[in-house]
Amino acid sequence: MVQRPRGNRRRLTDQLPHMLPIAVDAMGGDNAPSAILAGALEAAALGIPILLVGPDGLEGTGDLPLLVASEVIEMDDDPAQSVRRKRDSTLVRAAEAVRDGKASAMISAGNTGATMASALLRMGRISGVSRPAIATPVPVPGGHPTVLLDAGANAEVQPEWLVQFALMGSVYSQRRFGVENPRVGLLSIGEEPGKGDTLRKETYELLKVAPGINFIGNVEGRDLMTGVVDVVVTDGFTGNVVLKTLEGSLRTVVKSLFAAFGQPEYADAANALMPALLPLYETLDPDSYGGAILLGVDGVCIISHGSSSARAMVNGIKCAQEMVESGMVEAIRVAISTTVAE
Amino acid sequence: MATIERSEVLATVCRQLAEILEISATEISETQSLADDLGADSIALIELVDSLEQEFSDIIPDFQFQDDDLSGLRTVADAVNYIVLALGK
Repeated sequence: MVQRPRGNRRRLTDQLPHMLPIAVDAMGGDNAPSAILAGALEAAALGIPILLVGPDGLEGTGDLPLLVASEVIEMDDDPAQSVRRKRDSTLVRAAEAVRDGKASAMISAGNTGATMASALLRMGRISGVSRPAIATPVPVPGGHPTVLLDAGANAEVQPEWLVQFALMGSVYSQRRFGVENPRVGLLSIGEEPGKGDTLRKETYELLKVAPGINFIGNVEGRDLMTGVVDVVVTDGFTGNVVLKTLEGSLRTVVKSLFAAFGQPEYADAANALMPALLPLYETLDPDSYGGAILLGVDGVCIISHGSSSARAMVNGIKCAQEMVESGMVEAIRVAISTTVAE
Repeated sequence: MATIERSEVLATVCRQLAEILEISATEISETQSLADDLGADSIALIELVDSLEQEFSDIIPDFQFQDDDLSGLRTVADAVNYIVLALGK
């Protein structure tokens, strides 16, 4: 039986008393296990049921239940090979817990490829899904985030897969950010129809007529953070380059700003601006979102950044809970089955 | 080690392939090419290999497809023969 955390805490699970715990890979990531355990304990204190997955005798778990897994897939292990070779790894066991109905979702800050492989090989694909895709929120100051997918699961894609990404991304945008009829854009090198390579041109024609997708046409990289589009679809190679470019750029800008404000002659101005800048910093901070989500597998799978802090883990766990509560996987199943039937 | 007929191995391979490719097992014959005839890509092959390893690991201790051998799995018969060979050892 899953043990509940003791103490006087806000009981989110009072609303959903039967929610299965979130399986947390305690050993994934650069800051594991300490940051992962700290995040898991904090999430549990909010009333979110947690099932830690880690080695026997793991210290610092508090009252949280532990699913014992004796192996760890390292960051540089080959993803598919390691899932097959390390069958008692924390990642594989976390995915199996979701498959076997012992957990409602899984989250890991470990090897991204192995997390995907674990989810794919253990939870399986939702029927009709050709390829799962990694969807990541891109911050939009003053608005809800833009969903970018695929952010790295499939380096090369087929046009039909991108249409499925658009469908899945739309469901995610609806369920996570409450967007009613998400505007879908195809990332290209110009806004005009006909811009881009063969893949983009073929995908454009499919998206134009695809039912259930509010396709607004091509969008460019500069549109990602402006709020003009809710879901941006691209292949995994491009998506990953875009994501890393954005992350690096934002980090540099924020660092430079704070360095500038750190100069003594600007101290008063900095203090006056901080109330405006700190919320903006939180909007731009990846830790605020807790990571990306793997869409298209038959379960909720959150892929957190390798350098995830405890705060990032808390937010990732909250995201997992929200997506379970919102029925996101079932909504994707219905959306995909509708297009397959047509 | 338990004895399994080749026909049973074939049935298992076809069943797993059918589930992965979302087609009927009756559409699969052992002479078919995994990639060219059945459209199984690299992801599907990994799913097949993993599912067969799990399926047969109770019968064949430590059964695994060796990574160097994966490129040789071109047809349904190749996968069946691989397992039958492992059963015979």
